[in-house]
Amino acid sequence: MSAISDALLALTLLSVLLSLASHRLLALVKIMAFQGIVVSLIPLFLEQHMTMGSILMLQVLILMKGFLIPGFIYVAVKKIKIRREIEPIIGYHASLFAGLFFILISAFIADRIYTAHSLPKEHVLLMITAITTLASGLFLLMSRHKAITQVIGYLMMENGIYLFGTALAKQTHTQYLVEFGVLLDLLVGIMIMGIVLNNINSSFDSVDTKLLGQLKD
Amino acid sequence: MLEFTCLIPLFTGIIAMFLPVKFGRGILVVTAILHLQITVLAWMGKITPGLPQYFSASPEGLLVLLVASFIFLFISIYAVSYMSETEITSEPIYIGCTLFFLSSMSMVALADHLVVLWIAIEATTLMSAPLIFLHRSKSALEATWKYVLICSVGIALALLGCFFIVLSMDIGNVEVPITFSALGAVATQLDPIWLKAGFIFLVIGYGTKMGLAPMHTWLPDAHSEAPSPASALLSGALLNCAFLGVYRSHRLMYQAGLGDFSSNILIGLGLLSMLIAAIFIFNQTGYKRMLAYSSVENMGIIAFGVGIGGLATYGAMLHLIHHSLIKSSLFLSSGNILLGYGSKLISKTGNMARLFPKTFIAFFAGFAGISGFPPFGIFVSELLIIMGAFQQGRIISVSIFILALILIFAGASRLVMKMSFGAWNNEILIDEKMARVLPSYALLLTSIILCVWLPDSLYQTILSAIATIGGTVHG
Repeated sequence: MSAISDALLALTLLSVLLSLASHRLLALVKIMAFQGIVVSLIPLFLEQHMTMGSILMLQVLILMKGFLIPGFIYVAVKKIKIRREIEPIIGYHASLFAGLFFILISAFIADRIYTAHSLPKEHVLLMITAITTLASGLFLLMSRHKAITQVIGYLMMENGIYLFGTALAKQTHTQYLVEFGVLLDLLVGIMIMGIVLNNINSSFDSVDTKLLGQLKD
Repeated sequence: MLEFTCLIPLFTGIIAMFLPVKFGRGILVVTAILHLQITVLAWMGKITPGLPQYFSASPEGLLVLLVASFIFLFISIYAVSYMSETEITSEPIYIGCTLFFLSSMSMVALADHLVVLWIAIEATTLMSAPLIFLHRSKSALEATWKYVLICSVGIALALLGCFFIVLSMDIGNVEVPITFSALGAVATQLDPIWLKAGFIFLVIGYGTKMGLAPMHTWLPDAHSEAPSPASALLSGALLNCAFLGVYRSHRLMYQAGLGDFSSNILIGLGLLSMLIAAIFIFNQTGYKRMLAYSSVENMGIIAFGVGIGGLATYGAMLHLIHHSLIKSSLFLSSGNILLGYGSKLISKTGNMARLFPKTFIAFFAGFAGISGFPPFGIFVSELLIIMGAFQQGRIISVSIFILALILIFAGASRLVMKMSFGAWNNEILIDEKMARVLPSYALLLTSIILCVWLPDSLYQTILSAIATIGGTVHG
């Protein structure tokens, strides 16, 4: 575990906390772009040897997670002319506190997992970051009204799962075709969400999910 | 090259997007016929997968592929007539996405690699979202948003489950490809704790897509807001594909000797789905929502049957086939009803028996079929599941199962009677046509025929699909 990857993981945690406390949507998108780039860089500093495939994959990852996907959300935010998330279900200070709490819990879980299986301790910080990112993504998804913040929460959750894959699975990083398929699904998913978002905005004049409550039993 | 079942709809879908609508409709039907032919060839064993590290022709996959391909043909014939009656702003997109949807479902049926299966199931969500969103009404937007978000988040958790299973390989020092067939052979060496954790996440993820309660919340909205041919595809083909993910994870658990753990989860979720469907069907106001809750119920029955094991597994596989046939027929009939009355509300329909005699026969027969009356196949499959459960001595589970079936029949029959014979004095908008009734008849007829005469190759395929989890027909 090199110092660089530790620093990158700390930056990821920082971006998670920032996104929980942020109420300006454009800033949130920029934080996600930053997080995407950092998360894609992490495997580079974990592997002992670099191959042609891993370097190519790294570039694709940075392009998609750092530029294409946030770029798409950025365009959507610009189009719908909504700048702020007002009245979140759970307030910003409480969200920040929840984020810190997730770090604490995930440190506990990661420690338990690594002790129980006597795994090498070198990846324990990676595991903590992964669980925190995953939990905070789910939290963001549930605690905000604006549809766009929910998309960002989903994206953050995906980042967490990707980190999990990096932390846990040796094999997944040798199968670039499969990894590329997962990324492509993510990209198309975000694009479709963006299109639906635009349509929600034009027919409801808002992207508030409180308005999406007509269908029920 | 078995992969042609994915590639051909993909290419024709791209072509259909750029062609005028008239050609597009032709392409839809031609692709459906081609797809069925390739599927039949695959059944005869004439073609094999070109990329064996990712795809395989497993018996349960072939079964789901055949069901999807068969009902797709009839739905596409119906869709051609349906689309000429309704105003659809972007019909080429509809045709293209229907074909992409078929392509992604074929990929699910053939996938053997854990993550490729995940990619394919997520792709089915993405490719079917534009179909739900077709009418662009406010409620359609809401349904699409819920569908995409709930299913994507659910399936993202399934990816986590895949990683847990890979971890269980690493801890158990197993070096095999991450495919269901390879893992099945070495299942006992996998780490049981992580395998269990992986299974739970896979069931939550794929169960969301399959419509198992309590993760079913997207299903009634999506099925009722989608145009009827798309609802028929969602209910008849897509839910089976998601079931395939659950089934393969359960089989892996069984092979690892943890079958009891996963069986109990499946039985619990299955019964919960049935009870929730029974509660919500009782006072339902929309007929398409009623059919959607019936799909939740039937997915619950399948999960229950697979969880029980033995004879019930055979019943569950039969149930999968017959539910697809009958439910897609019912959704196609509901499209005629929607065109005729212009409303999805049961209170704004009535007297179908006199106004729409042909649709009425299909709808009423379909309702009898889905409620488990002979001569339709669901009668046999539910009977086998109940017998299987008694053989295993699961008396309490099977009593809840029977209670839920009775409640659902009682609730739904009241609504169907109102639709069929209730008073109705207004004009009807669009009359029924033979082209929109015959596909429903054909699907129902297939269910009757399969109930009386099951082809030997189908029988053998079901047997080999369930043999690995201890399913048998001899109790």
